[in-house]
Amino acid sequence: MPLAALAGDDPFWLPSDKGRGLAPQVAADRFVTAPSGAPEPEFSRYDNRLPPRVPPREDQLIFYPCSQCHEFWKTNPEPRELAPVHNVGLQHGQGRLWCLVCHDQENSDKLQILRSGQVDFNESWRVCGQCHSARQKDWYYGAHGKRVYDWQGEPERYNCTHCHNPHRPPLIQRKPQPVPPVRAGLEPMQVYFSQQRLAVLEKKQAQPVENPAHE
Amino acid sequence: MSKNRKPVPSYREDTENTDLARRNFFKKMGLVAATGTVATIGAGKVISKQAWGGATFEDALGDFFQDHYVRMTDDEMVDALARIERKARRKFGVEIICEDTRPIPGTYFGYALNISKCRGYRDCVTACVKENNLGRDSQVQYIRVLELNEGDRNLEHSDHYYNPETVPTEGKWYLPVQCFQCDNPPCVTACPVEATWMDDDGIVVIDYNWCIGCRMCMAACPYWARHFNWTEPQIPAQELNPNTDYIGNRPRMKGVVEKCHFCSQRTRKGRQPACMEACPTGARVLGNLLDPSSDIRYILENKKIFRLKEELGTEPKFWYYTDEARARS
Repeated sequence: MPLAALAGDDPFWLPSDKGRGLAPQVAADRFVTAPSGAPEPEFSRYDNRLPPRVPPREDQLIFYPCSQCHEFWKTNPEPRELAPVHNVGLQHGQGRLWCLVCHDQENSDKLQILRSGQVDFNESWRVCGQCHSARQKDWYYGAHGKRVYDWQGEPERYNCTHCHNPHRPPLIQRKPQPVPPVRAGLEPMQVYFSQQRLAVLEKKQAQPVENPAHE
Repeated sequence: MSKNRKPVPSYREDTENTDLARRNFFKKMGLVAATGTVATIGAGKVISKQAWGGATFEDALGDFFQDHYVRMTDDEMVDALARIERKARRKFGVEIICEDTRPIPGTYFGYALNISKCRGYRDCVTACVKENNLGRDSQVQYIRVLELNEGDRNLEHSDHYYNPETVPTEGKWYLPVQCFQCDNPPCVTACPVEATWMDDDGIVVIDYNWCIGCRMCMAACPYWARHFNWTEPQIPAQELNPNTDYIGNRPRMKGVVEKCHFCSQRTRKGRQPACMEACPTGARVLGNLLDPSSDIRYILENKKIFRLKEELGTEPKFWYYTDEARARS
């Protein structure tokens, strides 16, 4: 686990060989280059800043490595309805996208960047950034995405695909945590003039006034 | 009226007993001081489990003569931390580690929260309660997630008791509020005994032992960020967080004020605060305002930001931001 490795005994604020001090230190293996043979990706960095480290995700993918099947079954590049076992229910890009826009046809264990070549699944943020460049820049600098473990030094951030399913990107709604208790002896905080409250008030005003004296 | 009264919870009896013991202790203290034999009795032994406010005579005496946090010598601090650990062992039966964490040199904390990303899950609230040993029955919670109607920024219209089946609700937005660690903190000015102050890294902290429980700081705070322990905080022993900090999350006593301290026990060791770690959307960002390459500096320089009740001049070090880029003039 990378988290356990970071929790050393050394005072963390002193510059150390782990490369996580206030003085920015750059580990040599920080920048993962494109696989040998492939041309370097078009986008490399902003402002001479290295991209954030990303927790590896390849070991968490169910079907990975994809080549264990695609070694034998040649990839059919024809856009079509996929077999159920492989149908990921693609709802991304409103029908404009197809598997091979992001996945590499030659090497099924890699993703592809349209302009310049293959990248690892661990570097899928490079693929997402081709369309979502503003988000990618925010993520790069720390205004979007979730940081791992610490708040200072060279960042390690979760990849886009850690939170967003790349095939169905919107997050799913879920139940919130329990309601805070009301202080002993107090009524729940009144919501003044909220929409619901206004609706109740209007409903009361709309009702005809009953006057039992005229019966 | 009387037939509707609920049975008195068991912890009430305990606190009453300890109160009585405490009062007796002070009575005896007066006598002892008068005869001038403090030094000889100071080395006394355990008298009974419930006497001296649930502590040994030695510890009760040590608590009584304990100095203000900033004036304590290193030896006195070691003693004070040991007393806190012993007290927790007696009360909860749990071995805790209480430390005196100091600010990291060259650090000034600021917090940014992305309201475009907050979805009202309240994960930060539950994580905070567990991390900071908040009393489960005393209804103290450092973070409140306010639900507001879209386009509305009036806090009087907000509701933090929302409980739909799923969040986020259509047409609502969420605004978590907590202590903003103001740079010009009105609570610090209001405290008559200087039990609360701003530390070197910008965190406004409290010496719980020095607090007299007058609640002037609560009246001064415009954000409702401070909370008073009306009862002895009740924490299940198995849920007690054993990694504690003197001015942070150590178990508090009845009658003191407490508030968010940016998880000083974690952030001063480089870890994220519990709320930031728990937030599943990554909306919360803690960072060093003095570090130009930090995440928070990028947010403050490039995003649309606002602070709550900025016109009061409290200078909160807690910014809300949105996904939208800041307009360039």
